[in-house]
Formats: sequence, structure tokens, C-alpha cells
Amino acid sequence: MTIAEENITEERSELLARLGLDGQNKASMGRVLATGSIAEATERADGTMEATIRIKEDEVCWDPAILVLPHGGDLELTVINDDKNTHACLLPSNGDQKFLWLVNHSRGKAKIRLDGPGYYWYSSPGGNDEGRGLTAAIVVQGEVPPEARLDRPTQPRA
Amino acid sequence: MTVEYVDAGEAIDHSALSSMAGVAPAVTNDIDYERLLNARSESQNWLTYYGAYDGQRYSLLDQINTGNVSKLSPAWIFQAGHSGQMAATSTYAFEACPLVVDGVMYVTGWDGWFWALDAVTGKELWRYKHAIPFDVSLCCSNVNRGCAVAKGKVFFVTPNAQLLALDATNGDVVWQKTIGDVRAGESASIAPTVIKDTLITGSAGGEFGVRGHIDCWDLETGEQRWRTYTVPKPGEPGSETWPADGEAWQRGGGNHWVTGTYDPELNLYYAGTGNPAPDFDGGVREGDNLYTDSVVAMDVDTGEIKWHYQFTPHDLWDYDSTMEMTLFERDGKKLLGHFDKNGYFFVLDRTNGELQHVTPFVDRIDWGVITRDGKVTPRKYPDKEGEPVHFYPGPAGAKEWTHAAYSRKTELFYVPVADVGATATRRRREFKEGIPYWGAGVQVDIDNMAGSVSAFDTYGEEKWRWRIDYPMAASVLATAGDLVFAGTPTGEFVALDARTGEKLWEFQCGSGHHSSCSTYSVDGKQFVVVPVGWGGWLEGIVPGLLGQGHGSAVIAFALPD
Repeated sequence: MTIAEENITEERSELLARLGLDGQNKASMGRVLATGSIAEATERADGTMEATIRIKEDEVCWDPAILVLPHGGDLELTVINDDKNTHACLLPSNGDQKFLWLVNHSRGKAKIRLDGPGYYWYSSPGGNDEGRGLTAAIVVQGEVPPEARLDRPTQPRA
Repeated sequence: MTVEYVDAGEAIDHSALSSMAGVAPAVTNDIDYERLLNARSESQNWLTYYGAYDGQRYSLLDQINTGNVSKLSPAWIFQAGHSGQMAATSTYAFEACPLVVDGVMYVTGWDGWFWALDAVTGKELWRYKHAIPFDVSLCCSNVNRGCAVAKGKVFFVTPNAQLLALDATNGDVVWQKTIGDVRAGESASIAPTVIKDTLITGSAGGEFGVRGHIDCWDLETGEQRWRTYTVPKPGEPGSETWPADGEAWQRGGGNHWVTGTYDPELNLYYAGTGNPAPDFDGGVREGDNLYTDSVVAMDVDTGEIKWHYQFTPHDLWDYDSTMEMTLFERDGKKLLGHFDKNGYFFVLDRTNGELQHVTPFVDRIDWGVITRDGKVTPRKYPDKEGEPVHFYPGPAGAKEWTHAAYSRKTELFYVPVADVGATATRRRREFKEGIPYWGAGVQVDIDNMAGSVSAFDTYGEEKWRWRIDYPMAASVLATAGDLVFAGTPTGEFVALDARTGEKLWEFQCGSGHHSSCSTYSVDGKQFVVVPVGWGGWLEGIVPGLLGQGHGSAVIAFALPD
């Protein structure tokens, strides 16, 4: 038996659950990062993107664990704490990081601006929320503007 | 029953939860080309990356001098720190040179950080934090070498290849340009240079097989004025130094990732270029590989390369030539001095690139030999697949990107020297965009190493040497107080007698040095400032100190009142 073989023969989500990697106080004390859900932001006609990120009760993780944006630009987030404990939200944004305090059962907003492509982590910067699972990713898809690309023929990619 | 959510409001700037003032005096409004041309004469300020266009890193300030430097002590410490996750967490470092304008200091950090500080107290005036993707391609850590200032704005680049103009009074973005392709492995770390009404930058990413370029931007709008590639296309001048029927030029490297120097009379910008790609596998790029490992003298108005000199033709050792091209005069002749990674000191006529002489400046060189008249003979290099080859200097060079200084008073160069070897084993690989493209496995020695600050006259004759047990990895500063300041990898910040090399003062900063110190004065009081914090491309520079503690402080020193 090897782990590699199990990865191949078992669905990833089932494997995460069976090994206790996707919850609190199972395999380890916290939830392993980026083992949760995946969601895509929606886009308004003006190009501004929107999404909701949420902390579910006693799960100590962000839902979604990975939020995907179609391109760089402005993102408006609804940030919800459904937990019965107090957390916070520290988000990357060009200019300064954005901070939101989240008491139990609260909801707020955040407006951030990100370049693309690339991915960014955000978190709840209190105690060790970040290590327990409250660290999540925002993935920005796309390419750089044409004028910023190298003058050369299309190259092979991995 | 549905319980209404508590209204958490809208997220605020993280800096709002700090003691930061949020505003700085408008000291850069009157900085124009004329003031930058005469930057050294404004000795109270440090207006450009090197302190002046000539790259000498020499200050006219002499309040702190050989007679009183023993009394030098910390005036203030700014602790940067960081929160959350970031790219290259294990290796981030200060590599910046602080600029100072009339009592306001501008410092850039890793991961998109920019701080404006009160240069007398160290108090944070404003900050800017660009969001940097966690997965950005960085060959050599999460670093930035500094900023430029002019006309009410500050300018800097980010690891994800963005060029930003900020309002110098509050850090607000005035304009932003994407200047490279992060998917191709491009990034940016250079401190921009303001010349006339433009700004010059260069790209990084030679370890990912990009095609290097140097760019010129309109100071007010950020519109591109010109772009010059440092690797020619087929048919362009220099293309005969690349395989005629291959794709090598498309991935040829030659990046300009350290600030160039400028001669306003000749209207030439002297840009150093980086290694060819793949770094160690020359078999896929037969020829000299122009304009890699070169100085290119460029017309600043057009970007045209007027002349070039290649320090390491067909490089097989990762010997970038990006570091400073110091401009100086001797016997009425306009010259350019360059201490190269390959261990040799070159002096050129900067009007036409004609070589004057070449001399070694480090004890151990066995990769090859360069004669005094410039004839290059390679001797040890990764040639056969899978066969390890050891050579001196290693790929970080006998002097890495960190800068020498030149004193007009003593007419000596002061050089941070690294003496460490490495083993490279050629491992050919196919090219894939965005994936490292070295063509070898490389291991730098973790013992049998040395370093020094060494003084040379303009002919390359060594005059004195201050020795340490590790390679030097930080820039040197020379002042009219007959002092040479330098930081060591083990944290000591020292002042040496510029005429003898005697150590006159030292302070343990708590972490290693890998940046550029500068000096300034406010209300008649001179300060010396140094960003401190061990990190960077340590596996290349001093892997024997990979386990040293990190740090992220800016420390200013002054004499007691």
C-alpha cells in the first residue's frame, strides 16, 4: 500500500474525510488549509466582481476555501460570521490590507482590488485562527495585458 | 426564529489600526531633473538609488568622521514585521537603499511594502502595501531594491511586475502599469531611475528563461516611451551570437534587475544585464549570447544601444553583470568601473566602451582567466551531462548585486567581496514557460569561504582589506568623513577608516545585512541608516548561513547631541 495509490483510487473528498483532514480535532487539531469548498465570483456589468465568504459554526474555516475570480480588478465581498465565537478578516488589497472585525453572528462588507493572475491568502488574524483553518485563498485567473507580454513566439507551458 | 446579523460594517485599512500619521510633508514636489543632476551637492539628502547618477555611493557629509565615529549610536529603529502569508516567506529580506528628502525617508520592502518615515524619529508617516500573489515566480527571494522620487511622487516596482507612482504625501496611487508577464516568470525588483521626464526600469526572471528588457516610462502618465530587449531577435545586431536556427534567443535572459548609472553629458544610461538562460547549459545556446552579462550604453531618449561590452561571453556560471557601473574620471578621461560576479574589475572608456584594463579582485578564481587586455579563456564549467564541476567564484559571484562605493577624496573603490565556490552538474531540461530553467543542479559551498571589504585604486591595485569569515552580502558606503560603512552577514554594522581599513566602530544589529545603507542630515545632524534583515538568495550567496535568524528593521545612527 502507498498513499500515492490511494490518491489514485479514491475520490479526494472521500479521502480527506476518511483521514480526518477536513475538520476540527480529527486527524490533527485544525483543518488542513484549502480542503473545503470552491466557489466562483460573479461579475456585474461594470466589471466589479462579487462573492460571499462565510465562517460556519464550529468549522473554523472559510467557506469557500478557494474563491475564484475570472480576472484582476475590484471585488466586493460580503463577509459573514455564523460562528458562535468572535473572529476577524484580514484581506489582501492593493494599497493596504483590509481589516474587518467579526463578532459572533455578524455580517459586513469588504471592497478589495487585486492584480491578476495569481492567488492570494487571507485569514482571520486572531489567536491561531489562521492555523486552525481560517486561512483561505482567492485565485485570480487570466493573463497580463497584451502590451506587458514578451515579444516572442508563443512558448510551451507545463 | 431568524436572528438578525450584527452589522460588522465595512472593512477598513489595516494601517488605520496603527499609530501611523497617514501624511508626510510635500518635500518631493520640487524635485526635478535639475536637482537630480546635482544630487550629490544636496548632501543632506539621498535623492537617488546610488545617491547620485554616477553610482559612486559617496556622500559629502563629514560630521561623522574618523575622529568621532566611535561615539556613533542608534538614533531610532523602525521594525517592519509582517502579517499573514506571503510569497517566499523563508527568504524575504530588505535589499533596499533608503532615499531621504528634507527629513522624510522612503523605504521599500519585500512583498509590495513601501514606508514613508520621519528621518529624525523613525516614526511611520504613511505606508503602502501592494497585494502580491503568493505564487509569483521569484528566483531569488521576495525583495525590492528601492524607489525613485520626483515631482511629488515616489515610484517603485513590485514582485508581480507592476510599476507604481504614489503620491509622496500619503501613498495614494497616482498610476499603475503592468511591466512584465508573471505567467512567463517575469518579476521586478529594481529601483527605478528618474531621468528628465521619464522613468527607467528593467525586468527580472532570467532563471525562468524570459527575454530581458529595459523600459522607459513617462513620469507623469506612466505611458511607455520605449522598450529595448537585451537579447536580439534574428536579424538584429547581436543576433549572430545566438544559434541561427534555434529558439534560444526567445528565452535568452539578460535581465536588467539592478539600477543603472547615467552620464548626462553623453546622454547615456549604463545598464548591466544578467545571465543568459539556461544559466549553466551552454549547449542549447552556442555563441557569445549578446547582450547577456554585459553593460549596454543606451541613448536615454530612444533606448538605442550605442555600444556594449560583454564581461563574460557565453556564460556558464550564472555570472550576471547587473551590478553597478560606477562612473568616474581619471586624467580627464570619462571612465566606468565595474566589479563583476566573475571576479574581475573592469575599467572602460564610457564614451565608447573601449576596455582600459582588467584585474582580479578576489583570491580564488578558477572558472577561467581574463587577461589584463580582456582575453577570456574558460577553464572549468559544466559541460558533460551529469558530471559535477566545482568552480570559483560560485554563482553569486565574487561580488553579488550589492554595491561598491568610490570615494572622490581617496580615489579608492571599496568593494564587498565574496569568496566562495560552488558545484554545478549539468542537467539538460526542456523549456516550459514559468518553470525554472537552469540546466543544472547547483550547490554552493557551506564551508571554506571568506569575505572582505577590499579597497582598490582605479587601476585595480589592492590597498587594504578588512577580512571576515563569511562572504560579504551588503552594499558599502563611503563618506567625506573618511569612513566606509558596511554590514556583515552576521549582523555587525561597521565603520572602517577609508585610508587604512582599520575598524573604528561596530554595532550588532541583531540580524544579517543584505541591503544598501545611506546617509543624510536633518537640521545639521548627520545620520547613517541601514535596512537590516537576513534573507534573500541565501542558497546562492551564503548557504552556510541559511539558518541565521531573520529580521526586518531599519536602523538609523547618529552622534550624541
